Amino acid sequence: MITPLLQIKNLSTGYFPKKRESKVLHQALNMDLAAGELVCILGPNGAGKSTLLRTLLGFQKSLKGETYYSGRSLKELSVQEMAKIVSVVLTDRIDDSFLTVYEVVATGRYPYGSFTGSLKDSDKEIVQNAIQQLGIENFSSQLFSTLSDGEKQKTMIARAIAQETPLIFLDEPAAFIDSPSKVSLMEILINLAHEHKKGILLTTHDMEPALRFADKLWLLGINGEFEEGEPQKLIEDGSINRFFDNEEVVFNKDKVRFEKSNI
Amino acid sequence: MESKKNTGFWFLVFAVLLAVLFLTNLWYGSVLISWQEVWAALTNSSETAKTAQVIVQEYRLPQAVTALAVGMALGVAGLLLQTLFRNPLAGPSVLGISSGASLGVALVVLLGGAFNLQWPESLKIMGELSVVLMAFAGSLLVLGVILFVSGRIANIVTVLIIGIMIGYAVSAVVGVLQYFSRSTELHAYVIWGLGSFSNTNTDQSTFLLIATLLGILFSLLFMRQLNALLLGDNYARSLGVNTKQIQFILILVAGFLIALATAFTGPIAFVGLAVPHLARSFYRTSNHRILLPAVILMGGVLTLLCNLIAKLPGYDISLPINAVTSIIGAPIVVWVIVKRGRIKMK
Repeated sequence: MITPLLQIKNLSTGYFPKKRESKVLHQALNMDLAAGELVCILGPNGAGKSTLLRTLLGFQKSLKGETYYSGRSLKELSVQEMAKIVSVVLTDRIDDSFLTVYEVVATGRYPYGSFTGSLKDSDKEIVQNAIQQLGIENFSSQLFSTLSDGEKQKTMIARAIAQETPLIFLDEPAAFIDSPSKVSLMEILINLAHEHKKGILLTTHDMEPALRFADKLWLLGINGEFEEGEPQKLIEDGSINRFFDNEEVVFNKDKVRFEKSNI
Repeated sequence: MESKKNTGFWFLVFAVLLAVLFLTNLWYGSVLISWQEVWAALTNSSETAKTAQVIVQEYRLPQAVTALAVGMALGVAGLLLQTLFRNPLAGPSVLGISSGASLGVALVVLLGGAFNLQWPESLKIMGELSVVLMAFAGSLLVLGVILFVSGRIANIVTVLIIGIMIGYAVSAVVGVLQYFSRSTELHAYVIWGLGSFSNTNTDQSTFLLIATLLGILFSLLFMRQLNALLLGDNYARSLGVNTKQIQFILILVAGFLIALATAFTGPIAFVGLAVPHLARSFYRTSNHRILLPAVILMGGVLTLLCNLIAKLPGYDISLPINAVTSIIGAPIVVWVIVKRGRIKMK
């Protein structure tokens, strides 16, 4: 029995506004993520998807509970060790004017290199492979800031691949991308999970790609509700309806899409 | 895209320029000294006329070395601060450290006069060790406060703002001291504030150079973290950078370099802010593996150039350094930015 890449035990997420009680977003969460799985954290805006991700990464403190990476507790892992376990793709903007695409992807090798950040030949090969995998060779020497949002996103994913971590976490990766690119993005992520046996965790409020592509869903509700399972099961047992139907829009199980409510 | 050849070319250009400017600073001055005499003075040949040797060795050499050291120190400090704060307007003045130095000097120069305190004679003299020590102490005090704040507050922008506010507060205190001062002390203080590379003797300039080099060498250990910071705190952290620790270290190193420079020369305007931008525009890169050596060279070039220009009026008149760095520096930076590259940092 292989230890899952990620284990979440009795986790409570939230934050501590000063002078007030802690605000709990979700409690008693228990999930696993295994190698080769693509999991989508799905939920409406404000449900706490990004908070969960940040808590898992250790960017934010959990209110309770433990997170384990291949059996090792997050609390005991140093920042440097985490860098070899999880790589990230975030919504943070990078605004530096002179970084090239190649240089951005190359930062993925930093956890493995010397203090000067210079790349060995083996590093260069890994960077080149990541660039090719995402199909961005044509602008690898272009300035990152001149790229379109979709191209930037591909660059950041290539960067995460270059970091050679067993897990990749993505926060709203499809947020600024047009529909065809969304599909292409999901295909890349599925490939990383199924072919390359990485564990992929992404947050999204975009239902349809998640339902289509994910191996598992973690549903987060606005009021702390949580449900996990395979997309098909969650559709059939009405969980999707429970979490996402509202006065204006309902989820149609047969057609697997959201429609205007008839109420 | 500019290639590695371009990088090599500029390094060569600025290295040569640095050497040329250094030697020219030794040669040019209010007293005419020939190149042979300069060379003889440098090699300590006893054939030189005594006066020329003394001028070069005791006056111009320390002056040039001081200018070189301060240029390098402020260039590096400016780069570290601009990357740390992700702000193109960050510079040595931003941490309030030069204000701290001003406070230290004001206490020595102004306070003694204002309240007719009987400082021991040895402490009262402008340009002597006391001023240096008090300036350094003042800087370290402010630096200590900033480091304390940085350790408690995660948001770097907040630290930046606090640094600026401390600068204002300290300047206000100095303003009060100035208000109660006599004109002779006031004048001495103002002169200090205009910056000068000439207030150091041979020992002091040597010390300054060595201490600067040590600080700079230490900063070279963090090239990779500096590059990672360009992506933002979250990405940097995901790459294994301990952001709180690096924040502390960078403020410490930059603060040390600024305190050192300011103690011996007074606050030098503009160099720390401009040199990193110049380096980025010439080398067209953000990679600190190239930028750190680049600002070391270009910082020295800028200050040596300004020192030379300050001496141009000839005879006994030399312009205050801060006037030169600002008047010459500002148009140069604008020209370079407009012609060669954008500054677009978050």
